[in-house]
Amino acid sequence: MSVYFAFARSAFLTQLAYRHEVWANMIGKLVQVFARVAIWVAIYGGTASIAGVSLEQMVTYALLGGAVTGAIRYESIISGIGQALRTGDVAVWLLKPASFPLYVLATELGRAAFRFVILVVPTVAVVAAVYGMLPPASPFHGVMFVAYGLLAYTIIALLSALFGLVAFWLLTSFSLEWMMQAILNLLSGQLIPFWFFPAPVAVIAAHLPFAWIVYYPSAVWLGRLDVTATLSYFGLGLGWAALLAVGVVLLWRQASTRIVVQGG
Amino acid sequence: MAQIIEARAVSKRFRQHRRFPGFLGALKTLVTAEYTEIEAVTDVSFAIAQGEAVGYLGPNGAGKSTMIKMMTGILVPSAGDLTVLGRVPHRERQANAREIGVVFGQRSQLWWDLPVRDSFELHREIYGIPRPRFDENLKSLSSLLDLEPFLERAVRQLSLGQRMRAEIVMALLHDPKILFLDEPTIGLDVVAKDAVRKFLSRVNRERGTTIILTTHDLQDIEEICPRLIMVDHSRLIFDGETAKLRTALGSARRLMLEFAADPGPLELKSARLTSDDGLRKHYLLERDDISLVHVLDEIGDTTALKDISIEEPNIEEVIRTFYQRRNAELPPR
Ligand SMILES: Nc1ncnc2c1ncn2[C@@H]1O[C@H](COP(=O)(O)OP(=O)(O)O)[C@@H](O)[C@H]1O
Ligand SMILES: [Mg+2]
Repeated sequence: MSVYFAFARSAFLTQLAYRHEVWANMIGKLVQVFARVAIWVAIYGGTASIAGVSLEQMVTYALLGGAVTGAIRYESIISGIGQALRTGDVAVWLLKPASFPLYVLATELGRAAFRFVILVVPTVAVVAAVYGMLPPASPFHGVMFVAYGLLAYTIIALLSALFGLVAFWLLTSFSLEWMMQAILNLLSGQLIPFWFFPAPVAVIAAHLPFAWIVYYPSAVWLGRLDVTATLSYFGLGLGWAALLAVGVVLLWRQASTRIVVQGG
Repeated sequence: MAQIIEARAVSKRFRQHRRFPGFLGALKTLVTAEYTEIEAVTDVSFAIAQGEAVGYLGPNGAGKSTMIKMMTGILVPSAGDLTVLGRVPHRERQANAREIGVVFGQRSQLWWDLPVRDSFELHREIYGIPRPRFDENLKSLSSLLDLEPFLERAVRQLSLGQRMRAEIVMALLHDPKILFLDEPTIGLDVVAKDAVRKFLSRVNRERGTTIILTTHDLQDIEEICPRLIMVDHSRLIFDGETAKLRTALGSARRLMLEFAADPGPLELKSARLTSDDGLRKHYLLERDDISLVHVLDEIGDTTALKDISIEEPNIEEVIRTFYQRRNAELPPR
């Protein structure tokens, strides 16, 4: 396991080498988050609450929602795996006593940790200072938010790896990146929280793995789930993560035997 | 001596989905299941003992990389038996991986963005190399190949020669029993080639690491490998001592002497005159033990000599002579 920690740490440190990029990214991120919050402020336009959700809650939701998707570059996981499979660089990994998908995940999580500290936390802090942000509903919800946040990173990373492996058969990763983006916007609750969805759609969306990426962490922070619901949905999320992990392992095994039997 | 690699009648066929040209062809490609088969390795057998340094020589497309990939476990042979260190490589790929080192001349295993030293550190983690052993290996190997000046530099900033030296050192850090190198000198300049060759023969001699090296450069093999396996069009065509190659194949080095003033016809015992343009005379050096010294000795007075050159036969030429000889020896049908 220490191998994968070493990959993550080295990816974290490598990011430091691209310091110039950090400033440009920071400005881009700030504009993006400001825009998202400003849209909600405009939609509310003085109304105290819509569907039982106050503007303050909505702003907090929008700020937290970007915390996961803002730090991870799922498209680089997808294209990274797709490219290594296509160019045959993956052959090099078949020679090492270490797993290639785990290497890709560890590396991207290392980079995500860097972006979280350097990009996400400062932008959220700046925007929160301007528009205000609610604290977690209770200490319990605060702690569970952290757990949900880690689970969110795991799920988005596994999903991206799954999409990346599919690229091996489709021989294109671009359309998959695009598809992942569309799915995330809609089904993670990033663009619009589920409580504004029509009831049947909301129920379905709330049980798909994408919901754990944005919707649940923010909803938990805001206290929209009681203690039992918080715990049981966490269990369900873990189940999704396990299922996705199995999917990644199986697809990887398929892809690598195909390379080994037929050649890159 | 124990055989650590054994190949018995190994073959590899690639099946490729047949593609049809043009737009309609692309549609046809989607719906048909026609395949073309490519024989990359056909019926190749050899055995390699612990501590040998073997050159695997052949022109492009002869099946060298495919053979290396089978020995390292990333490709499965279509037919025949292959064992490396007593294992079937593709069945026990990871166990095999721990005991071998592999360098691909055209594919980097270093981390592009990291300093060379950090790549080595990750390699240490992957292979679980004990710290003292790692430090010792890193120190001795990098001083031999002169890596110290660029150990802290990012891999993407290195020249091809520097990168190749780093790749080779990395492949040796976990003390592999066998080192496989697929075209390690491709694209390198003369100085870098020379450094790599000297280093590899030293590693073979001093560490006892078995070396299997593919190349299409005959000189790589002459300087590193006492034994040569030659392949062409997927088949093995020669397996024996490198030193005997020229005598076995009858291909000779070419000698050219250029004079300031025509010395007249100049027949030599050490070399056979093939053409005489007066000032320039061309010879063939047919025996391996004849060197320039012998030739100059025989000429005696060299004051009129302006220029000398010796040309090694290139691989295509060696193979051509081989075929010519073999065809000449075949009984007429
Ligand atoms: N993955 C593959 N699929 C189909 N054909 C291949 C594949 N890899 C190699 N070949 C073919 O097999 C033959 C031998 O290739 P290779 O072993 O790479 O030769 P070398 O390394 O000697 O240049 C070539 O004709 C090459 O086109
Ligand atoms: Mg090759």
